[in-house]
Amino acid sequence: MGNFGNLMDGFVIALSGYHVALMVAGVLMGILVGVLPGLGAPNGVSLLLPLTFTMDPVSAIILLTSMYWGALFGGSTTSILFNIPGEPSSVATTFDGYPMAKKGEAGRALTLAFLSAATGALFGVVVITALSGWVAEFALKFSSPEYFAVYFLTFASFIGMGSASPFKTLVSMMLGFAFATVGMDTVSGSLRLTFGFTDLIKGISFLVAVIGLFGIGELIVTMEEGLRFEGIRAKVTPRDVLHTIARMPRHWVTLLRSCIVGSWMGITPGGPTAASFMSYGLAKRFSRRKEGFGSGEPAGVVAPEAADHSAGTCAILPMMALGVPGSATAAVMMGGLMIWGLNPGPMLFIERPDFVWGLIASMYLGNVVAVVLVLSTVPLFAAILRIPLAIIGPVIVIVCFIGAYTVASSTTDLWFVLAFGVAGYAFKKLDYPIAPLVLAMVLGDKAEGAFQQSMIMSKGGLGIFFSNGLVSTIMALALLLLFWPLAGMLVSRLRRHGM
Amino acid sequence: MPRSAGLTRFAMELVVAGATGLIGAVVVAGAREFGTGWGVAGPEPGYFPFYIGILIVIGSLGTIVATLVRRQREQRIFLDAEQARRVAIFCGPMLAFVIVASTLGLYVATALYLFGVMRWQGGYKTGFATVVAVGTAVGFYFIFDVWFQVPLLKGPILNWLGIY
Repeated sequence: MGNFGNLMDGFVIALSGYHVALMVAGVLMGILVGVLPGLGAPNGVSLLLPLTFTMDPVSAIILLTSMYWGALFGGSTTSILFNIPGEPSSVATTFDGYPMAKKGEAGRALTLAFLSAATGALFGVVVITALSGWVAEFALKFSSPEYFAVYFLTFASFIGMGSASPFKTLVSMMLGFAFATVGMDTVSGSLRLTFGFTDLIKGISFLVAVIGLFGIGELIVTMEEGLRFEGIRAKVTPRDVLHTIARMPRHWVTLLRSCIVGSWMGITPGGPTAASFMSYGLAKRFSRRKEGFGSGEPAGVVAPEAADHSAGTCAILPMMALGVPGSATAAVMMGGLMIWGLNPGPMLFIERPDFVWGLIASMYLGNVVAVVLVLSTVPLFAAILRIPLAIIGPVIVIVCFIGAYTVASSTTDLWFVLAFGVAGYAFKKLDYPIAPLVLAMVLGDKAEGAFQQSMIMSKGGLGIFFSNGLVSTIMALALLLLFWPLAGMLVSRLRRHGM
Repeated sequence: MPRSAGLTRFAMELVVAGATGLIGAVVVAGAREFGTGWGVAGPEPGYFPFYIGILIVIGSLGTIVATLVRRQREQRIFLDAEQARRVAIFCGPMLAFVIVASTLGLYVATALYLFGVMRWQGGYKTGFATVVAVGTAVGFYFIFDVWFQVPLLKGPILNWLGIY
């Protein structure tokens, strides 16, 4: 049982006083960004990343992942108390969480959400612990063509499986790739797509794009809606907690189903948002009290929360083992890994077991820390949303721009944030998916490199992508996913004519 | 269907798809400078961006066609006058913040922007707005420059005051 021994070593690393302090700090900052409109998990992690450039990678990743857990919890808090999802992935929590709070069961709704979320997260970490050794070993068989095939599969699944228009997903993703090619090409050294602007030589940072697209874009949408925060005052009493714990076993079927859905969607690039909606839908379909959904059914809180957190947790596995992040936040963290000088992929498990297992152990601890902290600080963070928008709005804007400036100390990036912000606003309102753009920006260089090396290996023949069983299977799967919407359209048309 | 003055979703879809299509065309043009074929060492530097640019153009055209086909269903309002006003009120000061930040530095811009929004949009008294605005800027100075040792742009005014 190599994984277990490794995990114990990981706990030795994660349980130091310094790292526990980082977890507490990370979780608190995470709850803050999760609660504030416009500052979600991808954005919060992007803002914090430049401050970790000088830190030890293990400490840095513990800080960032803890922030991620905190942000997921913070997002659920605002969904329940204010009917405002702090995160796209907690939209489904508003359906039943807010009605529950309105009925005077805010404390119970919150406890239920947090405990379900923690269960989901722990399930996810157990899945990661069990699978990571195996996935890394499997991934060692990969060379450039297989890597390119996996990247291709990731992007094909976005087009085929996403809920948005395939054209819009394609445009969003390819824009990400295009932005990633701007600047010095690492292979040939040519200055691509700079059009003579010296400011573009260093390229466009994915962090700046995330801050603009997710942060400023989200804020413009919030402001346009003329949002008023009308929250329900809530306090979580120990009685609520005990009462909810006593009732948790009743929801075991929903919990288990949601955890499995979440883990699957997290490992494959479906992401937490899709997972929470899917899990909510399934819970409703299989429930004996369908009519209760939408007006404060506890299972309607359990399902999306457990799925959201298990997906968020599981998204870390493909990021580390394959270098393919399963969510936008995981993509940002993977960019961080590369900045810290680590190379995500199976070799990471061999070269830096302290990093991998320290991180996995910290995920167990971080989630426990997060549940305790979020249960005890909910009233405090809910009070932050009562600060008038005329103060908190500009402060969030300032934090976003300062965060973008710290990436490369360049004022050009301020303009990029503004441009990405406007683009993010338009994209969000027109249902363009943003996650593929971020993923493409992070993976752009690696995907291009893998493609180039494959081409050098095969002397220019595309046949290399079907040269052995492994790569052919991945490519075939990718092509199947890519043309899935087309096949669906054809089948429904044939049926209509056949009838 | 509610008919009020405003920008329709139909128009906005076309504008955005047109813009992304234009970016795709620019990428294609930029890639052609570096050769888009095969060199001695495999694909030339322009190869990858060239096809990405083409895919952006294809995707944008697809959206344009899909929008035109569903013309009747896309007549919903994307942005009405009230919403446009709210967006302008938010984005105007933000634009001013970026201009001031790149000329006078981030701390000065922080204080001015927060003061401006609080005083003229939030309706706070001048004294209170000043205290909060300057306090926030000083707070950020301690967080970034002192604590995390990430120096932010100071600008000519702070330099003149002896803060670098």
